[in-house]
Amino acid sequence: MWQKFLRRQKPNKGELVSESTPSLRRRFIIGGIIIISVIAALAINFVFEYSQRLADISYDRLLRSALLQMDENIGLIHNEVTIDIPWSAFATLAQANDDRVFYKVVSSSQGFITGYRDLNITPPNPPQLDKIQFFDRQYSGEMVRFAWLERHLTEPESTGTVRIIIGQTRLSREELSSSVTERAVEVVLMIALVAVALIVIGSQLVLRPLHRISRVLEERQPGDLTPIDIKTPKETYHLKMVINHFMARLQTNLEQLENYTADAAHQLRTPLASLRALAENARDKTSPERQQEALENIVTQCDSLSQTVTLLLNQAVVSHRMQTNPKEPVDLLVPVTASCREQAITALHKGVSLSLEADVERAMVFGDAFALQQMMQNLIENAVRYSNLGAEQATEVVVRVEEFSNYYRVSVIDYGAGIPEEEKKRVFERFYRGRYDTAGSGVGLAMVKDIIDHHTANITILDTQPKGTTFQIDIAKYQSSNDSGSLL
Amino acid sequence: MTKWLVVFFSLFLMSFNAFAQALVEPKSIEFGKKDAPRVLHIHSSIDLASFGPLIKGFVKRYPDIRVSYTDINTSELYQQTIKESAHPQASLVISSAMGLQIKLVNDGYAQTYHSYETDHLPSYAQWRHQVFAFSLEPVVMLVNKNRYPGPLPKDRQDVLQTIRQYSDFMKGRIGTYDIRQSGVGYLLASQDARQADTTWGRLIEAFGSHQVKTYCCTHEIIDDVASGKLVLGYNLLGSYAAQRVKEDTRLKMILPKDYTLMVMRVGLIPKKAPNVDDAGLFLDYLLTNSVQRRMQTETLMFPIQPDVMTKHTLDILGKSGPQRVVELDQQLLVGRDYAKQRRFIKSWEEALEIPH
Repeated sequence: MWQKFLRRQKPNKGELVSESTPSLRRRFIIGGIIIISVIAALAINFVFEYSQRLADISYDRLLRSALLQMDENIGLIHNEVTIDIPWSAFATLAQANDDRVFYKVVSSSQGFITGYRDLNITPPNPPQLDKIQFFDRQYSGEMVRFAWLERHLTEPESTGTVRIIIGQTRLSREELSSSVTERAVEVVLMIALVAVALIVIGSQLVLRPLHRISRVLEERQPGDLTPIDIKTPKETYHLKMVINHFMARLQTNLEQLENYTADAAHQLRTPLASLRALAENARDKTSPERQQEALENIVTQCDSLSQTVTLLLNQAVVSHRMQTNPKEPVDLLVPVTASCREQAITALHKGVSLSLEADVERAMVFGDAFALQQMMQNLIENAVRYSNLGAEQATEVVVRVEEFSNYYRVSVIDYGAGIPEEEKKRVFERFYRGRYDTAGSGVGLAMVKDIIDHHTANITILDTQPKGTTFQIDIAKYQSSNDSGSLL
Repeated sequence: MTKWLVVFFSLFLMSFNAFAQALVEPKSIEFGKKDAPRVLHIHSSIDLASFGPLIKGFVKRYPDIRVSYTDINTSELYQQTIKESAHPQASLVISSAMGLQIKLVNDGYAQTYHSYETDHLPSYAQWRHQVFAFSLEPVVMLVNKNRYPGPLPKDRQDVLQTIRQYSDFMKGRIGTYDIRQSGVGYLLASQDARQADTTWGRLIEAFGSHQVKTYCCTHEIIDDVASGKLVLGYNLLGSYAAQRVKEDTRLKMILPKDYTLMVMRVGLIPKKAPNVDDAGLFLDYLLTNSVQRRMQTETLMFPIQPDVMTKHTLDILGKSGPQRVVELDQQLLVGRDYAKQRRFIKSWEEALEIPH
């Protein structure tokens, strides 16, 4: 059965992976590439601006030097402001090999002195005397870097200001900045490529252990649930542990299932055999009264069998719930009350009165309401059944709920025959039945024990005074504000 | 100041008149087959005596191209190129007035040209890939051996000495460029002033006090030196001088020992010029090794490529003083500066006692 289950699961899992979930490695690589691209773009952008600034700084020095040399050679000849541009000024500018030169000198009193008449530009910032300004402007069909200076004439006979504008096209600047940028971009791109390559290789390396684990699992025989014992890096230890733990649980479940199936079969065989014996007996009886009596026996036996089957089913449900349903806060009184109510009529039929004594309003515990109800039902059924045994009929079963500091105590008290001391240890064993002269599967108390274990509770079997048995269950309180550690 | 403006304006007008004349009577000469499908218009300041053989070689090599060659004075050539900038007639503008050519490039009148030949020019022989030199020649003095008084000069100091010694004889017997008319004359004078301001000052003063004769063009100076009208021609282009010295034993070419200016002949393609391809072809042709060699063997010009120099060329250049190469770059713009030019010409006129 579980093999079929596994086989059906496998292709489903494959579809799931290929259809919707993106590859971890691809995501890793794409993310890395995006981040590296952004960083590279920022770096290149920075380098671009920086190289531009660098080129301007270096070539502006030439421009400033030429401007100052020109400025030095402004003078008065026959009361006329004029300039004798030194050859060296333009020799300085000629260091920018292929750049065209434009200039203009004007004075406030005479107007145009020399240079390019149509070079009428104003600096971007408000002109300030004696302060050189640098700026880019379009002129003569090209972008030109200008230096601009206006100053007072200092000669005694002169008044007003003189303005020098000198400009140089940007070829050499662009060349310098692009050579700087080019080199930097090469370096950045190389680093980026190396980084991407490392990510690609690294992702392969990082994911290899996972591939190995999955390959090991894939290659296994379907029934092989032994722990994975291949050597993988520390980081995958947890995953491995989880897988191993999961497989262990699966193993336990399977074992339980197998046991259960075997036990159930075994358990059903006895009543069936007895049914068969009764039926044969009935067939062989000749007198109708005896036959009637035998048939009554068969009916009783069938009821008992039906009860056993119901119990088995309940146990299967409870065991399934305990495997799958998470525990949650429940009011213990609810399943206790419900099971008392359910059993009260049945008990009365058997001449037993069932009473519930609860001195609390609510008893919050952490668990599964259905399982708890099943547990109570079994205990009560058990108590009622044992009340009917023995020489004299006991007439009372008491269910009591008490509150203690950390736990609630639920006691199911009967006044029946009681359980011999040596049997108390065995009653929780599966299919152990103290006595075969009564209906009952022997499954009930084993299930009770399972549920108790599931809730980390305690169950104790005590003798009732003067006679009878008391099942005493201690179950921890649920404290919502506290951490769950205190429950355990 | 107004007086000066008037002088300038009239100068401007004069050059305009000359330009107008050139338009009215284009002195263009045709080379090659009349029915050749392509026409290459060259405007140049180079004498046909130097350039003709090379152009003939060009049309022979490219029979599909007819060359229409117009010989124009450097200043007019500059003015005309600007004037025609919207619809240039010339596909190629060639001049030895490097300053004017550089200014045309700086002011955006030339277009870029790349070829194997131009890309392999030495860096000093081109600017912005828009103006290209194909000849580098010394600037020389030319004397009439028979008529020159005293020992032949080796440098400018010797010339000054001779002028002082033979003051009366030298009057009216020295010739040089009129820097107002000739772009190359202006270039040479301004470079002299730049190289040795004091010597230049003394020289120009001595020239002035001895009624120096000014000319528009080199060949007229050479003619007058040869005929004996002049005994000394100052600041002549070496190629023209060398050409005539070879034929005329009366003449001697002297490369001044104090310093020898080296100037280039440079060509550019105007921005909107027609037939750019053939203009480039012609430039490349001038730069090929065979043509560079031929310039020398036929004493047409000096080459720009140092590695093709013949022994003869090396012999001539070997007699030079320290060479001062006028570089083909932005510095030449200083010479063409409006204020500087005005002042320079004015002081030149004053020194030469030319009435204005």
